[in-house]
Amino acid sequence: MKSINGIQFADMVQMGAHHLFQNADYVDALNVFPVPDGDTGTNMNLSMTSGAKETAAHTNEHIGKTAQALSKGLLMGARGNSGVILSQLFRGFGKSIEQMDVLNAKQFADALNYGVETAYKAVMKPVEGTILTVAKDSARKAVEVSEDVEDIRELMQAIVEEAKKSLDRTPDLLPVLKEVGVVDSGGQGLVFVYEGFLASLKGEALPSKTVGSSMDDLVSAEHHKNVQGFMDTADIEFGFCTEFMVRFEDGKKAFDETAFRNDLSEYGDSLLVISDDEIAKIHIHSETPGEVLTYGQQYGDLIKIKIENMRQQHTEIVGEGYSTEATKKKAEVHPYAIVTVAMGTGVSELLKSLGASAVIEGGQTMNPSTEDIVKAVEAVGAERVLILPNNKNIVMAAEQAAEILGIEAAVVPTKTIPQGMAAILAFNPQATVEENKNNMSEAYAHVKTGQVTFAVRDTSIDGVEIKKDDFMALAEGKIVLSNPSLKEVTTSLIQTLMDEEAEIVTVIYGEDVSEEEANEFAAFIEAQYEDVEVEVYNGKQPLYPYILSVE
Amino acid sequence: MSIELKNEFGLIDISQDTVAQIAGGAAIECYGIVGMASKHQIRDGLTDILRKENFTKGVLVRQEKENLHIDMYIIVSYGTKISEIAYQVQSKVKYTLNKSLGMSVKSVNVYVQGVRVANV
Repeated sequence: MKSINGIQFADMVQMGAHHLFQNADYVDALNVFPVPDGDTGTNMNLSMTSGAKETAAHTNEHIGKTAQALSKGLLMGARGNSGVILSQLFRGFGKSIEQMDVLNAKQFADALNYGVETAYKAVMKPVEGTILTVAKDSARKAVEVSEDVEDIRELMQAIVEEAKKSLDRTPDLLPVLKEVGVVDSGGQGLVFVYEGFLASLKGEALPSKTVGSSMDDLVSAEHHKNVQGFMDTADIEFGFCTEFMVRFEDGKKAFDETAFRNDLSEYGDSLLVISDDEIAKIHIHSETPGEVLTYGQQYGDLIKIKIENMRQQHTEIVGEGYSTEATKKKAEVHPYAIVTVAMGTGVSELLKSLGASAVIEGGQTMNPSTEDIVKAVEAVGAERVLILPNNKNIVMAAEQAAEILGIEAAVVPTKTIPQGMAAILAFNPQATVEENKNNMSEAYAHVKTGQVTFAVRDTSIDGVEIKKDDFMALAEGKIVLSNPSLKEVTTSLIQTLMDEEAEIVTVIYGEDVSEEEANEFAAFIEAQYEDVEVEVYNGKQPLYPYILSVE
Repeated sequence: MSIELKNEFGLIDISQDTVAQIAGGAAIECYGIVGMASKHQIRDGLTDILRKENFTKGVLVRQEKENLHIDMYIIVSYGTKISEIAYQVQSKVKYTLNKSLGMSVKSVNVYVQGVRVANV
């Protein structure tokens, strides 16, 4: 074949368009660049179809006129980056042969090359490793080969071979392709068009689908798109990447790809099925890989099975501790939080039950730092926070934390656990931080606190003689008495705290006090003061056998 | 004015110019664009293709509360389907900003300021 005319060229275009149409899904699946939205095949196919329609409607023996029709159809129907580039390639091609009736090998090669030049001129920053590169490499090869080859079939054969080689090189030019492990989708589309051209020249039929090594590319692209969606292992709905092949057998269920696909889509997502007469290759992400395999066995023997746990892989990538339970549990978030400080697990529980979002373990001998408070507030994900230090030595740190946080924060300067409890009870989630601070401060102002603790050395404070290991009673932070008998100390403390208006007494007993002792003490208070209600809590606090409040 | 992002470690401040540079860089990688144009070219009355260091003149970034709005002024190649190229620019710019800054872009408005005929 020394030359082609318009009619032959029109047939090449039809074959090219048809072959691209047959494989549009495959091109879609490869699409990761410029935007991984999986529409390259669809777009190219729509563009090429529009070009083929216009060509069919205006086919002329004059190849220049036929090529003009193709150029016009492609321009009108151009969709997507690759579609626009395709239209430019053939716009240049058509423009350079406007006056020609027929093309010989040399002229055909030059026209392709002119098309590439035109396409490159329409972009400021050509990205190599795309359809542009594939078009350029194959056109250069065409010019080179046409020096000695006169047969257009032979020339087209060389073009297709070079286009495929160039396509295989695209990952070396475009990093994202290498990363994902695919070849360029637009370049693949162009290869399909050229393969169609060649089939038309040879008068051969083409296989409708490409089966072979392509499955690996498809799987890579599919995984890449998946990864885009998962930032969190917990987001993975279908946890097992399942790949297998079925070799069809006589006597088993007859294979129908559409039905097979529809059935399998019930089991998960990212489904890929490629089949020929003998085997089908399947890739699916499923939560029940066993059921998928069982389904496949209806059609024949299973070969090459590979199942991977994607949650585990994802966990390793993002570096979080792997546990299905843990991934399901999200940290509790309190947009409007109360963060407070306490000693003893019982006290912590008590404060939480009243409404504290977080309780920092601290207290007399291990005061939390500013940083500890900041961390605790951030851990609850607060947007607005009230900080209750429950200890005069922590008020400063709390104030600093409130400043550093950069969110709406206020400190209610509570100095004891009972004050903290009273303040928490006055919290109103509808009020502003400032309003709450005022209301809560008022609420704890009328709470009187008494504490019983041990003396660590002999001393004298506020005129009270104190001996090491004696019990000391503090009323509102002031020493009342010191005595070896716990009972005497608590009795005299409660007498100091009580007044006419007292209604409620709260007793929080520490880890050194038994429940019986605490109840005995409570019974004593109720007997002494008829109108008073006594509440008893097991605070499990160290160092303070009793914390009392009167309000 | 700049764009502020907050996370647990503190504040990230991204200048408007940075956003404009990224948006411009994404746009000129799109097929069919031959350059960025100055948004004031109507006033200046000339179609000048901006150099890379002046991209910001052809990209306008506006922030309304949480949302980013981008206006881009471009020059396209003659003989291409302009509507399609504008659409490609929109999707590429949106995707790139989202990927590189983690910002969602509410709108990308494309103003085609001119067509350049390549002297083939």
